[in-house]
Amino acid sequence: MSAEPIQALVDVGKGKTTRGVLRVIILALIAGASIASRLFSVIRFESIIHEFDPWFNFRATKYLVANGFYNFWDWFDDRTWHPLGRVTGGTLYPGLMVTSGAIYHALRTLTIPVDIRNVCVLLAPGFSGLTAIAAYLLTNEMTVHNSAGLLAAIFMGIAPGYISRSVAGSYDNEAIAIFLLVFTFYLWIKALKQGSMLWGALCALFYGYMVASWGGYAFITCLLPLHAFVLICMGRYSTRLYVSYTTWYALGTLASMQIPFVGFLPVKTSEHMPALGIFGFLQLLAFLDYVRSAIPSRQFQTFLWLFAGGTFAIGLAGLVVATSAGIIAPWSGRFYSLWDTGYAKIHIPIIASVSEHQPTAWPAFFFDLNMLVYLFPVGVYLCFQKLHDEHVFIIVYAVFGSYFAGVMVRLMLTLTPVVCIAGAIAVSSLLDTYLDARSPKPEEQVAESSEKKAPKSGLKSTDKPLVGIYGLWSKSAVVAAMGVYLLLFVMHCTWVTSNAYSSPSVVLASRMPDGSQHIIDDYREAYQWLRQNTKEDAKVMSWWDYGYQIGGMADRPTLVDNNTWNNTHIATVGKAMSSREEVSYPIMRQHEVDYVLVVFGGLLGYSGDDINKFLWMVRIAEGIWPDEVSERAFFTPRGEYKVDAEATETMKNSLMYKMSYYNFNNLFPPGQAIDRMRQARLPEVGPTLSTMEEAFTSENWIIRIYKVKDLDNLGRDHISAAAFDRGLKKKRAPKKKGPRVLRVD
Amino acid sequence: MKTSAVFSAVLSLLSLASADSSSDKGSSQTILSTAFKPGPVFKNTNLVHIVSLEKNYVKETINVAIENIAKKAQDAYYLPFTADQISRLGGVEVKDRKDTSGAPFTAEVVELNPESDIQYLRIKLPKPLAPGASQTLGINYYLLKAYSPLPAAIKQEEAQFLTYTFSAYVPSVYTTLKQKTEVKFSSANIPDYTKLPGTGDVKEFPQKQGTKLTYGPFDEKPAGAYEPITVRFEFNKPVTHMSRLERDIEVSHWGGNVAFEDRFTLYHLGANLSSLFNRVKWQQAQYYKAPTHALKELRFPLRPGSADPYYTDVIGNVSTSKFRANDKEALLDIKPRYPLFGGWKYPFTIGWNSDAKNFLRKTAAGGYVLNVPFLEGPKQPEGVEYEQVELRVILPEGAENVKYTTSIPSQSITSADVVIHKTFLDTIGRTALVIKARNLVDDFRDRELIVSYDYPLSAALRKPVIIFGSLVAVFVGAWVIGNIKLEFATSPSKK
Repeated sequence: MSAEPIQALVDVGKGKTTRGVLRVIILALIAGASIASRLFSVIRFESIIHEFDPWFNFRATKYLVANGFYNFWDWFDDRTWHPLGRVTGGTLYPGLMVTSGAIYHALRTLTIPVDIRNVCVLLAPGFSGLTAIAAYLLTNEMTVHNSAGLLAAIFMGIAPGYISRSVAGSYDNEAIAIFLLVFTFYLWIKALKQGSMLWGALCALFYGYMVASWGGYAFITCLLPLHAFVLICMGRYSTRLYVSYTTWYALGTLASMQIPFVGFLPVKTSEHMPALGIFGFLQLLAFLDYVRSAIPSRQFQTFLWLFAGGTFAIGLAGLVVATSAGIIAPWSGRFYSLWDTGYAKIHIPIIASVSEHQPTAWPAFFFDLNMLVYLFPVGVYLCFQKLHDEHVFIIVYAVFGSYFAGVMVRLMLTLTPVVCIAGAIAVSSLLDTYLDARSPKPEEQVAESSEKKAPKSGLKSTDKPLVGIYGLWSKSAVVAAMGVYLLLFVMHCTWVTSNAYSSPSVVLASRMPDGSQHIIDDYREAYQWLRQNTKEDAKVMSWWDYGYQIGGMADRPTLVDNNTWNNTHIATVGKAMSSREEVSYPIMRQHEVDYVLVVFGGLLGYSGDDINKFLWMVRIAEGIWPDEVSERAFFTPRGEYKVDAEATETMKNSLMYKMSYYNFNNLFPPGQAIDRMRQARLPEVGPTLSTMEEAFTSENWIIRIYKVKDLDNLGRDHISAAAFDRGLKKKRAPKKKGPRVLRVD
Repeated sequence: MKTSAVFSAVLSLLSLASADSSSDKGSSQTILSTAFKPGPVFKNTNLVHIVSLEKNYVKETINVAIENIAKKAQDAYYLPFTADQISRLGGVEVKDRKDTSGAPFTAEVVELNPESDIQYLRIKLPKPLAPGASQTLGINYYLLKAYSPLPAAIKQEEAQFLTYTFSAYVPSVYTTLKQKTEVKFSSANIPDYTKLPGTGDVKEFPQKQGTKLTYGPFDEKPAGAYEPITVRFEFNKPVTHMSRLERDIEVSHWGGNVAFEDRFTLYHLGANLSSLFNRVKWQQAQYYKAPTHALKELRFPLRPGSADPYYTDVIGNVSTSKFRANDKEALLDIKPRYPLFGGWKYPFTIGWNSDAKNFLRKTAAGGYVLNVPFLEGPKQPEGVEYEQVELRVILPEGAENVKYTTSIPSQSITSADVVIHKTFLDTIGRTALVIKARNLVDDFRDRELIVSYDYPLSAALRKPVIIFGSLVAVFVGAWVIGNIKLEFATSPSKK
């Protein structure tokens, strides 16, 4: 009587259609969960674009939507990098903007009046749902169990390593690139397994989309040849590999060359050479395959060695000659920094100055991946057990991805998918073993023992003795423990997302004494002031970090921005900031600077301010003008970086110092001015400015804007003019001291 | 085809409907032949001119007793303005001083000659005035952007002074027998004003009483008499000027909701800063609550029942706002991102929702009547002026037979059209009534706009049916496509 409903319940998961429907529902729920977990910042703050780079992408998207695709393609932006400008259309990856533009127009066609900002804000969460599905598909290619795929999907959906770059508002290239990465890999595996030209072409198509979206496409460009190479080395060359690889390479390279920013790089730079090399190598192998079928095997051996050695030598020599002749560009600086983590610090401070380019600290792995860190090797080990072509891929990806994630914090992102997949394989095989309610039957034991009689029938790993768990207690204990770990994982992910990755950084939140939320909105206050109350073409000089934000929010031309394509220009700004007023003023006049914007955290104790970044400005300027700017001069004799009375003269006279602390001491009783960020008591007499005047300071002093004075009306230099203005009263006192003397100049 | 026919019908009905509410909506200016010049058919027997400079716009009131001195009955009284004044003139309302119960008289600007500097406001008397008869008119109007700060640039902590120039005698095309001009200020600090020789027992005009200056009474002045007077007075308050207000009122029958959104372009027209903004001084002044001419706060008393307010500008949400709502009031206090000084600009948007039953009634005949405030801008003690107002009432999809009336002076309304607005899954688009007005002030805050329209049930059912139908079509399409087998026949024998 009571058995019937239970039986019905048990049967629910058995039918093929029921399982299919269940899988679809679970996948939809996973996609929903991965979207929902990225909405913390929208709920807590508002639908706003985060941080720095997304502001450029947002501005570019608005331009695309307003002016159409062809104008976007030809966009020359004269409002950045003044006076150089930037060929924006040719120096960006348009995939992201085109994607949101297409979504925007599609929704508008359905007369859904969506705001382009909301499309941009919600693009990353939306694509993260797709990434979860792509991870499901990719994992399904690895195992026969769909449960691994579902686990991979949920891991992918909520792993903080991926959430870090895809929360709502984080409108950056990575938002769609990780989906494309995983999906391209899926298509590659599909193409390789079937030897299908169709899947190979689809793989090339998505590879092209990936190239259009993110500079990290080079990861695919290197990983697929590496996979092919490893397969060949394992003696697994097959026509399947030939068909899928050549299809992908030929079509994918053509597709990638359609992007102006990439252009002829795929045939010119060293990063792309492995792909080309393997392509050639596969042709040779195919040729050899053909020859082998035509000539006797003894002769073939000799032929093979001569042929292979000769080709390799010629190829290598060709590569060396082409590189030294400059036909093929050597590895770029960013790639060198992937081999030698100290390289950037010495040679390209501008790359080293970005926090996300630093080598990863060990805790970061646990922070971003939690329990997947230790499940990951297990999953890779399980791949070794089966070791089909697709498992080799996971192994190669794991090795490659781990290395890069260790070198650069940012590349944790490319590691996360493989960690999720390997972790899901590990968890699912564990659960599959322990969740089986039946005990192994005695016959199987017999079979097992009979196998034991002939233990040397093959390799140990291919033996696969039938293993089963008998005790219900051990089963439930393991399953319960795993369940607890999974729950802890979810809690960790939620906590990390909520606390570490959901701050827009444009708005800061603090708590009022009564517990209510208080928003510190100084950035937008100042940017809005600039936007509304300055001339349309007033040039704003600031450190490059704020370039994109000024362009996006204040809509004013900037000297340098986060694109960092011209190191000298950035160094010029660094020099202006770190030099004396007499030196800086001509630089600013030459660059037609109207306003200078600095970020100052001394009143609020805000750590991301310009005084803290100041040494990077000095270093970058010193790289170009070693005679005029010296980092050592900013440290006290004891080697300390100080802003108080002990600060060096160079520091006190630098424009950055003056602009940060100008008028600050008037806010406090005399002699009581304290920089809360650096816990330093400032000198009683504050700095004086003669070539510029304070134009605007935000409510909490985070943003300070100065107006560069025009040339003096009387032709004096500003220092003496300012001294004259200040000194009128003071000069009267010494006059009384002695008799008047006729001055003869 | 059909829809356009419907809307042309609606349009023609609208023009009929508007004819009785206000004379001419197409343009508030009527061009007369260039030969026209108002003749000396009237005599102003007594005139009191009150110039109120208490707010950041000028409110002038002319109470005049007129007498027909012509042979024929007259029905049009003309008031001259300069072309510059005409562009800033708004909210003209004329009433019979003796009979305040009657409807306001029609007043419209007539243009004689586009090149001429003098243009006229024509006041239509409801009944032609018989020869020798007299009537008392109360003419009220507002002038925007009327002041100029002197000095034009001041320091942040200094007080702001404004100047205003006008004529001691009301410029009239008729002879004025007796007149008096009163000037009212918001503060008693009036350092400079033009002095005129007195008449009778008064030695010198004006007479100052507290915050009021009185010029006159003057004796008989001919038509066109002009005597410039400039006053300079302390006005240590923001000169708030909305160069443009776009106001959307969206009615949703399905949601039972009326959504309001006001987009303001706000300027401060007062004295500029002579030295740039100094945060230290500002914080100190805030601490001592020192009076300032900077605009710090705007208060919007909304209708009770308003909910879900938002306050944004072009770069996102602005967190400095407070909303207090209970059964009796709904007060929205907002602060601009930065304090506004003279010459500064701050465009922003506010919006809120309200239950439809607060504004919408169903009539016995089956139509609907919407009664909403025409303006709901900030209510400031120093006043707010609006140069351009574009009001858009978005009615549900398929609403027809749209008519409206409003108590806003017809002189300020420049146009009214019914257009189609497409949004949220619309197929034929929503009927939207767009009313453009100019030169309004916050005195008209409580004036209402009444829109009546028909909304048949078939129109109300259109959207759910269409959405349901298209979803079914998508599913059927997907099913059909899913059933198509795209593969090569493996062997002919299997077929």
